[in-house]
Amino acid sequence: MMSFRLQVILVVILLAALAVIIAMLKKRTLDLKYVLVWIFCLAVLLIFSIFPGTMTKLARFIGIYSPVNMIFFLGFLLAVTIIFTLTVSLSRTTGKVRKLAQMMALENDTWEIETTEETKTGAGVYAEHEQAHEELHLQ
Amino acid sequence: MKRLIIIPAYNEQDSILDTVRDVEKNAPGFDYVVVNDCSGDDTLKICREHHIHVLDLPINLGIGGAVQTGYLYAYRNGYDIAVQIDGDGQHDASYLEMMAEKLVSEDLDMVIGSRFIDNEGFQSSWIRRSGIHFFTLLMRGLFGTTITDATSGMRMCNRRTMELFIRDYPRDYPEPETVARLLRHKYNVKEVPVRMRERSGGVSSISPRKSIYYMIKVTLAILVERLR
Repeated sequence: MMSFRLQVILVVILLAALAVIIAMLKKRTLDLKYVLVWIFCLAVLLIFSIFPGTMTKLARFIGIYSPVNMIFFLGFLLAVTIIFTLTVSLSRTTGKVRKLAQMMALENDTWEIETTEETKTGAGVYAEHEQAHEELHLQ
Repeated sequence: MKRLIIIPAYNEQDSILDTVRDVEKNAPGFDYVVVNDCSGDDTLKICREHHIHVLDLPINLGIGGAVQTGYLYAYRNGYDIAVQIDGDGQHDASYLEMMAEKLVSEDLDMVIGSRFIDNEGFQSSWIRRSGIHFFTLLMRGLFGTTITDATSGMRMCNRRTMELFIRDYPRDYPEPETVARLLRHKYNVKEVPVRMRERSGGVSSISPRKSIYYMIKVTLAILVERLR
């Protein structure tokens, strides 16, 4: 069993974390899509902290002797899952940002290949709005 | 036949002009485009002042992202052949005509300029050479093709290869990995002997400290390529 003191400490920490997340959600600093998994994680830990009895059976079943360890183990597993999900989504976002930057570079390209007879080699010039483009760049 | 030279440039203010002049003089049958990978120095300014065609990336994407931008440009603008050379003056543009002839006449998907066929010109340090040789052995073992200089940044390809590169291109240290990918797809890759010079400006992206990361990352990438 875990001590009443630890129980109180855990509950306070979890509630505080929940409050912070909800506050950030209100301010839209966090995307609900990513927050759901955190809220779920906190809720599970909260239930087990308030009712350690529910843990004891599960802990015994898995072969962990103390429900406290079960809580830590569970927290660790959830945290790793979340971090991994974030790594995946970071990789995806990096790819998207790259695509976006490349499209922007091509979009802003004002170079025009001269197709007149004498310059068949493909020598080009910047189009009229080059000046405006350069000014934009200096800012 | 439309042909494009892609020159990725990251902080190459000291050498970009020489590289471009070399291209204009020694590869007159090619168009060229500089891809400025958000350089912190005057690379962009120099290009604009001298009316050099430059694609300007708004954020730093790394060499892979920069080169891919060039291939994207080449593909969209209907180029039949695209070749990348480094912006630091290592590569001699006078080889490009010969490489293009080989690409077309032998119907290849990629032609690589290799330092290690005739072993002439700048040969790099022995430790780098042994690293490159390791990749040669690895790829020969995995794909059965001998590529003597998989790290060469002097590579020419046709539209079929461009398509593949546009779909997916590694972010950093892309050369050996992409060669492995072509070999896995049974694309036709051949090398031609070239001389390279020592870089005229800038610094190598692979510092001694990073070389361990480089070897591990590239080896892993090649192995993963085999597993695909």
